Amino acid sequence: MNHETTITYSRVNHDIIRMLDKPGAKWWILFVLDLGVLAFGLFCFLYQVYTGLGVAGYSHPVFWAVYITNFVFWVGIAHSGTLISAILFLFRARFRLSIYRIAEAMTVFAVFTAGLFPIIHLGRPWNFYWLFPYPNQRELWINFKSPLIWDVFAVSTYLTVSSVFFFVGMIPDIAAIRDRVKETPRKIMYSILSLGWKGSDWEWSHYTRAYLYFAAFATPLVISVHSVVSWDFAMANVPGWHTTIFPPYFVAGAIFSGLGLVITLTVPIRKIFHLEEYITVANFEGMAKLIMLTSAIVTYAYLVEPLMAWYSGSPYEWGQFVYRANGEYAFFYWTMIFCNSIVPLVLWFKKIRTNINALFIISIFINIGMWFERFNIIVISLSHEFIPSSFGLYRVSWVELGITAGSFAWFFMFFLIFIKTLPAISIAELKEILPIPTKEAKTQ
Amino acid sequence: MSERVKKGGSTKPVLSKDEESVLSSEPGLGNEGLTAGGIKRRDFLKIIGVIGGTAAVTGGCSSEPVEKIIPYVIPPDDVIPGVSSYYATTCTECPAGCGIVVENRDGRAIKIEGNPENPINAGKTCARGQAVLQGLYNPDRTRSPLGRNSSGELQAIGWEAAEKALIEKIGEVRKQGKGNRIVFLTYNVSGTFDKLIKEWLNALGGGKHVTYETFAYEPLQEANKISFGTDRIPTYDIEKTKYLLSFGADFLETWISPTEYARKYSDAYTYEKGRVMGKFVQVEPRLSLTGANADEWVPIKPGTEGFLALGIANLISSSGGVANPANLGNYTPDRVSEITGVPEETIRRIAKEFTESKPSLAIGGGVANTGTNATDTLVAINMLNSVAGNVGETVDFGRSFTLSKATPFREIKSLVDSMANGEVELLLIHNVNPAFTLPKSLGFEEALGKVPFVVSFSSFVDETTRLANLVLPDHTTLESWGDFIPKQGIYGLIQPAMRPVFDTKSTGDVILSVSKNLEGLKDQFNQGTFYDYLRDSWKEVHEQFGSGKDFETFWFEAVQRGGVFRKDQPSAQAQISGSDVALSEPKFEGEGDMYFMAYPSYRYYDGRGANKPWLQELPDALTQVVWDSWAEIHPDTAEKLGVEEGDFVLIESPYGKIETQALVYKGIRPDTVAVLIGLGHDSYGRYAEGRGVNPIDILPPVVDEKSGGFAWLSTKVKVSKTGESARLVKAQHTQTQDGRNVARAVTLNELQSGVHHEEGHELHEIPGHEYGVYKPHEHIKYRWGMSIDLSKCIGCGACVVACYAENNVAVVGKEQVAKGRVMSWIRIDRYFEENAKGGLEARFMPMLCQHCDNAPCEPVCPVYATYHNYEGLNAMVYNRCVGTRYCSNNCSYKVRRFNWFTYKWPEPLNWQLNPDVTVRSKGVMEKCTFNIQRINHARRRAQEEGRDLKDGEVTPACAQACPTDAIVFGDLKNPESRVSRLAKSERGYGVLAELNTKPAITYLKKVKRDEA
Repeated sequence: MNHETTITYSRVNHDIIRMLDKPGAKWWILFVLDLGVLAFGLFCFLYQVYTGLGVAGYSHPVFWAVYITNFVFWVGIAHSGTLISAILFLFRARFRLSIYRIAEAMTVFAVFTAGLFPIIHLGRPWNFYWLFPYPNQRELWINFKSPLIWDVFAVSTYLTVSSVFFFVGMIPDIAAIRDRVKETPRKIMYSILSLGWKGSDWEWSHYTRAYLYFAAFATPLVISVHSVVSWDFAMANVPGWHTTIFPPYFVAGAIFSGLGLVITLTVPIRKIFHLEEYITVANFEGMAKLIMLTSAIVTYAYLVEPLMAWYSGSPYEWGQFVYRANGEYAFFYWTMIFCNSIVPLVLWFKKIRTNINALFIISIFINIGMWFERFNIIVISLSHEFIPSSFGLYRVSWVELGITAGSFAWFFMFFLIFIKTLPAISIAELKEILPIPTKEAKTQ
Repeated sequence: MSERVKKGGSTKPVLSKDEESVLSSEPGLGNEGLTAGGIKRRDFLKIIGVIGGTAAVTGGCSSEPVEKIIPYVIPPDDVIPGVSSYYATTCTECPAGCGIVVENRDGRAIKIEGNPENPINAGKTCARGQAVLQGLYNPDRTRSPLGRNSSGELQAIGWEAAEKALIEKIGEVRKQGKGNRIVFLTYNVSGTFDKLIKEWLNALGGGKHVTYETFAYEPLQEANKISFGTDRIPTYDIEKTKYLLSFGADFLETWISPTEYARKYSDAYTYEKGRVMGKFVQVEPRLSLTGANADEWVPIKPGTEGFLALGIANLISSSGGVANPANLGNYTPDRVSEITGVPEETIRRIAKEFTESKPSLAIGGGVANTGTNATDTLVAINMLNSVAGNVGETVDFGRSFTLSKATPFREIKSLVDSMANGEVELLLIHNVNPAFTLPKSLGFEEALGKVPFVVSFSSFVDETTRLANLVLPDHTTLESWGDFIPKQGIYGLIQPAMRPVFDTKSTGDVILSVSKNLEGLKDQFNQGTFYDYLRDSWKEVHEQFGSGKDFETFWFEAVQRGGVFRKDQPSAQAQISGSDVALSEPKFEGEGDMYFMAYPSYRYYDGRGANKPWLQELPDALTQVVWDSWAEIHPDTAEKLGVEEGDFVLIESPYGKIETQALVYKGIRPDTVAVLIGLGHDSYGRYAEGRGVNPIDILPPVVDEKSGGFAWLSTKVKVSKTGESARLVKAQHTQTQDGRNVARAVTLNELQSGVHHEEGHELHEIPGHEYGVYKPHEHIKYRWGMSIDLSKCIGCGACVVACYAENNVAVVGKEQVAKGRVMSWIRIDRYFEENAKGGLEARFMPMLCQHCDNAPCEPVCPVYATYHNYEGLNAMVYNRCVGTRYCSNNCSYKVRRFNWFTYKWPEPLNWQLNPDVTVRSKGVMEKCTFNIQRINHARRRAQEEGRDLKDGEVTPACAQACPTDAIVFGDLKNPESRVSRLAKSERGYGVLAELNTKPAITYLKKVKRDEA
């Protein structure tokens, strides 16, 4: 990055905090539309609670479907945020700098969204708290053997750590906003959020240590959370689920899909707020390379899975993979292969991976492909298990689509609020790589 | 909700006022009104309110059920709350007359089991017998007498007014001197009710009693008359035979006495070590469930069975058979083969086997196969038996069926004619539905319109009753007194198992009370109630079989035991008398190129089962279709017609047309199309109406030439595609095992020569199972287990319906079944296999929770809602279940069921619910419990008596009902128990045991014949 000539400390402050100006009509229209979709999603959910889970499209034996697909999808999305901010921080990968805040926000909101689905998909969602180990006079306890309990811990830990990490990283920036904001209510809000940050050397020295510590603490979680989520499947004996490759496969897939969504979100923000100088093509290229890597890992998993199924000699496993490629759901399977394995191959061309529009389109393919990957794993595996009499077909219902749309609206609602309340690009870290302001610079 | 009134020492749950209003306003929702479909305006507003953020989210979720508890102030003498009483009575769902025992809990009948004392069914039942309760509690029963109001609609009137109307009408008819123009139309009532009707009609002036059975056996009677000189319907002792050749007799489904024959079949034709396994060959154009259980199915050209029988007889007699009647020689194998479409080689082989395996037996005359030459065919079959030397050993006329007393079809025909000619002044109809079961071409409905006054005693407004002028609803069997004599030596008593559910009155009582107001009848019919009349009439039985007891003791014992069953009924073996062979060609009406077969269904019988949701939701064993009709078409024919499964086809005969969905499979000849009887009602309650088609509608009024019985198989039809298509709703969509060895079989040779590799042992452990992380489960005193013999299972579904009844399993309706949401805890999986000769082999596999010792469902439940108990049961805690459904995903057997909705039992169907079993609400998982309520009950009883449970003391509903004893339940820890011994059987294996689930159910492999 070569900012010396154009970007200065004051411009950074100005450009970034400018994003927090009073929202315009366009923002409001988007926001209201978003709330409308969210309200419909909420209506669908309440209708489902009231009537019974039967309004979803479940059929015997497909007892998990779109909701769990969404859960895994959103948990996956939640990965790249921490990956970009923590792991790449530890690796000192510079291209993370301009995008990590957006990625972190995405992480936190994606976990918010993901966390809803295990509750939405319950038969009796009003009893969801029974999955937590809390003391009660009935002396009921949870089953620590169940991967669903591991999920509860993994996701709630991840939510806590990623939120804290997200917040800690923002403290100096919030303080900077606090100092510029005039209206009282916002000033109070930012004052509280900045925790009295003054920017002293003493504070900075502790702050950087703490940030490093959190980065180190968050890093194993990136691996563990999605590994645990993959165990929901790998620990079960369902053909197509019961495989040891799942944890690395899921983690790679999560990063892959997370990067996809980061690109999908960053491209419009960059354009709308004219952040071309901050979020550079080089940043995107860095992500594109990571996408190439993770796509390759995912593709490898796609190949190894059927190979192992064939090699195992188990008619159930092999039957499952033949069915995936050849059965009623073949369209979804081949869509997944196309989106996740074929489309990313074009990134081998530098021209394409440095073309922002092309990257945006590819990222959409990745989002779709990765959603279908989870759908395929969950629905196709359950459709075609051991007992031939109980092969079944699943058809999605409007309630499930409504809730899925609502979940996107829920995510974007947080995102829209975030864009207008918190700095989307780290001011403090940006400044670290800028030349220290001098008199010459000032006069310029 | 309901208050209990003490009256005469008995209790009766009475409908309260608000319940009545609920009953009358029961909405006829789509999907059978069983699921909470749709959303009401109020609820919608509630939800909207929540979205508005005005209320807590929980506002729309849960509402506490409103319950009023009304205690007994003065408890009735004979009711101990929570303790069942059992009443032995007789089932009247079909003419077989099985004995049943009805469990009554707190005044309500809740479960039916077979009466072990009754020699017909020996404690077993069929699916229809289990479902009798849903007739009793049917929400569409006629709740009070109905009369025509001024605008001609049927309207509720009181009993007084109703009886008055009948008295007036009878008085009027008698005054005109037309007492002989009264006709009483009933089913084949035997015994006291029959006697009362006859006496009453005589007293009224010589009216006529017509007993109409939809499925009567005139050709069989006529043939027996020709061959043996007696027109009775004998008992075939198939349990004594080693080779059974059945020409279309569907004796496991509807033929004469299916539960009895199922048991006999199981005794002779299923594998048991140390016993010769008989061979059973079924000859019929369409594969029936009976045929599917045969060792060999011979798809014969419709109507030509007689030729095959004579062809076989010819081969036998020419190779030195017993007698050699004239002109048998004409039936040479090549000619017979040409006529019947059966390969010559098959004919020769069957002839050889038929003589070699003694005793052998040929039977014939299934309803569906009854054509215009039915009598000839049956005479030919008798001839075959005679030639093979079977007569005199296995056909017992000493225990013949009273079904032979049913009015012949030709008289039914003439009744319709006389009705049409205005020769009937008053028609009284009791529990038959000729408007549905007679072909439209006979014109019964029009003829009924010519009868000035029609009285129906039916419990339901069926197709006939809705045309009546007056409806005087009778009690159902479970509420009445009566008797039923299905066959010689069996005097079944009918006693009420509970007080009447509705304001109905026994028809016997109506006759007696009406007589009190009829001139000249008062003295003759002086009994207060039909009960008194019955007792009087049984004094005759007492004289015959009282064996020195006084009448009160005799009566008490008879009522207690469900009747009088003579074990020493003398057998009277048939002796052939005639030996003429004059076989005529079958005749068919219609220009079409396909034979049309309307076959009786083991679920609906003649249509009376159609209003029972259990039977509608029980999948047809072979096709797996539920809640609808279908047309069976051979794949080759389907290809020609361009028809695929689910396409609607139009079936046209000269007498009408029906349109239904096609089911393409190999269980039928390419030149035949078949539709089941029983559906297509347009008036028989919410579960029956507008569902499927009635094939009888398009049948011609053709009779069997010799006997005058109705010729069911006498139509040729045109079949064409309509262009419409829909998914055919089935419980199982797959046909084969997909190469997976789930329902296993072994050949008889392999078993006998010891080649068969034994794979089963008690726990179905796999090598290395001991290296698990967790300690194996401890079973302190008992470990419950089961064995299921695939060689014995005939796929009849009695276990499935019994389970619905015992465990409050919800019926979900067609729409939900289409989504695979059947709730049955036990299902019968059906797999087709191609046997060595390319024939179709069906395997039935009852599948239920395997109560695995290493259950995949248990560790994945996050809240311990499912766990392993100390008796080896995989228990399920409904209250704790949050509904993650992970257990079901991880269940290798797919036997867990989820409550997608809170399912409804429309009043008063919910009266049948078993109080020992929780009714589940939406959002929880459920599955087979091995009837834990019965286990607990038996254990408590044993504890009270200070002993351990004995083997056989606990029998789950499925095993109890099973007519062939395929299911055996017991304690696996006790090495002496029946189930332990079966678990060690050489045929035993655990389904998917290679997954290390250690199932508690041992399946015994089906035994096939190598040559078949």
